[in-house]
Amino acid sequence: MDIFFVLTNAITVACIYGLIAIAVSITWSSLGLINLAYGFVFTFAGYGAWLVAQHINDHPALIAAAGIAMGAAAGVLVCLVVFIPLHDKPNFTTRGMIATLAISLIGSQSFLMFFGPRPKSLPELFGFWTLDLFGVRLTSDKIGIVVCSALMLFLVVRWMRGSRRGLEIRAMMMNPHAASIVGIGIRSTGIYVMAVTGAMGGLASVLLSQTYYIAPFNGLTPLIKGVSIALCGGLGSVQGAVIAAILLGLVEALTNEFLGGQYVLMTQFLFIIAVLVVRPRGISGLLDKAREQ
Amino acid sequence: MSEILKVEGLSAGYGPLRVLHDLDLVINAGERVGIVGLNGHGKTTLFYAIAGLTGWQRGSIELAGKQIGRTRSQGPGRYTHQIVRQGLAIMPQGDEIFNGLTVEEHLDSGAFTPEAWRTRKERKERVLDIFQPLRKLMKTPVGRLSGGERRMVSIGRGLMTDARLYLADEPSLGLAPKIGSAVMDALLQIDLKGSAMFIAEQNVALLEGRVDRIIGMHAGKLKGEASAASRLGER
Repeated sequence: MDIFFVLTNAITVACIYGLIAIAVSITWSSLGLINLAYGFVFTFAGYGAWLVAQHINDHPALIAAAGIAMGAAAGVLVCLVVFIPLHDKPNFTTRGMIATLAISLIGSQSFLMFFGPRPKSLPELFGFWTLDLFGVRLTSDKIGIVVCSALMLFLVVRWMRGSRRGLEIRAMMMNPHAASIVGIGIRSTGIYVMAVTGAMGGLASVLLSQTYYIAPFNGLTPLIKGVSIALCGGLGSVQGAVIAAILLGLVEALTNEFLGGQYVLMTQFLFIIAVLVVRPRGISGLLDKAREQ
Repeated sequence: MSEILKVEGLSAGYGPLRVLHDLDLVINAGERVGIVGLNGHGKTTLFYAIAGLTGWQRGSIELAGKQIGRTRSQGPGRYTHQIVRQGLAIMPQGDEIFNGLTVEEHLDSGAFTPEAWRTRKERKERVLDIFQPLRKLMKTPVGRLSGGERRMVSIGRGLMTDARLYLADEPSLGLAPKIGSAVMDALLQIDLKGSAMFIAEQNVALLEGRVDRIIGMHAGKLKGEASAASRLGER
């Protein structure tokens, strides 16, 4: 029973951090921006959902929708403040990274100012039922988290494959220079990319708040984990990010089980370092194909 | 006859390097113009300047009466998509191509105006009629194609919209002579319908007698019939 419990925990955690990792991956490969502002997006969406739950209605679907919408809004905000003014300036990669990190830090401090240090909690989104599957007891929030994030990922991938905008984003991921020649506007596509990846971050925030509280500095850990999973999977690759998320989720669950929660970050980063030593471009490094710089 | 492209006093370059020196050039509707010159003498830079992709540029460029040139010192490509949307189709040199997209997606990506996007099926058919070999390859990623097939894809992509000016940058470069001339034949067959085509080429023999006029380019300056005025008098 233990091993299944560990596995289900691993998959649940992987889903949440995987969403952020995929968002980081997509932003890097299409816009060339290592977006460290997902911490801000994450907290923004969390507080947005909390405000909606407090003042409007605490229906689960409404809270999830509010989180997604606030995440998308925060993504667009980051795009307007960082990407559009900076994207054609020299050293954009470094400048963009510093600017987005600044947004994350400023964001955390402003949340501290507005909402105070006391953590907020969202109501239970998925109720309190359990399900027995082949002798494994699955709690409602685990099932809900897995289903919601898989659905989100499915919709995003489907949109990227099937729609006009998705085609433009994929074209930009492969060759930004040729994309502008074909008439794809880098800035307008940037807004779409940031809105969609922001929405993914927003959903991750709402889902994680089922386990943790919403606090001003709570965006930092998901950000670090998201970025490191994206690195581990190979920046720019969605499949790589999914695989890395599952592996790192497994590492986290195993550590929790056998060593204790305080060692989680240590074992995770040791694992990431080990992967990057053996495969410098990550599990499926498409970095050089995705963006030649 | 209306002027599709009118360039006046165009200089452009990259950083401290000045590649184009005060060019004047006119291309009229319905014309096919060749530009020949050696490697590194500014043919591609001229095309890039028209598309706003050089490091810096100054001078006037009018596309169908609208000013698209501006004095720029940084941000290559910032306005390229807007210029392209005003009716410029670029068939770039070499492999400016999206390796992971299939041929079909690639052609779709060329149909950027709403009108072209709606009628993309018919447009794809039209391109496939010109480039028959692509018909079997529609679902293949472009990265797996041969050099000649890729060139067909990148030219076909340019034909997916109704451009006013087609810029074809060395369509035969790096291809076997037979395939190169086949690609050029296809390019010369295209019905212009009041738009214009500007072809850069190193091999004069491929253009000789098949385009309306040939301009020479040497060290960033134009030689020969840069304006069509004299030619028009003869007609």
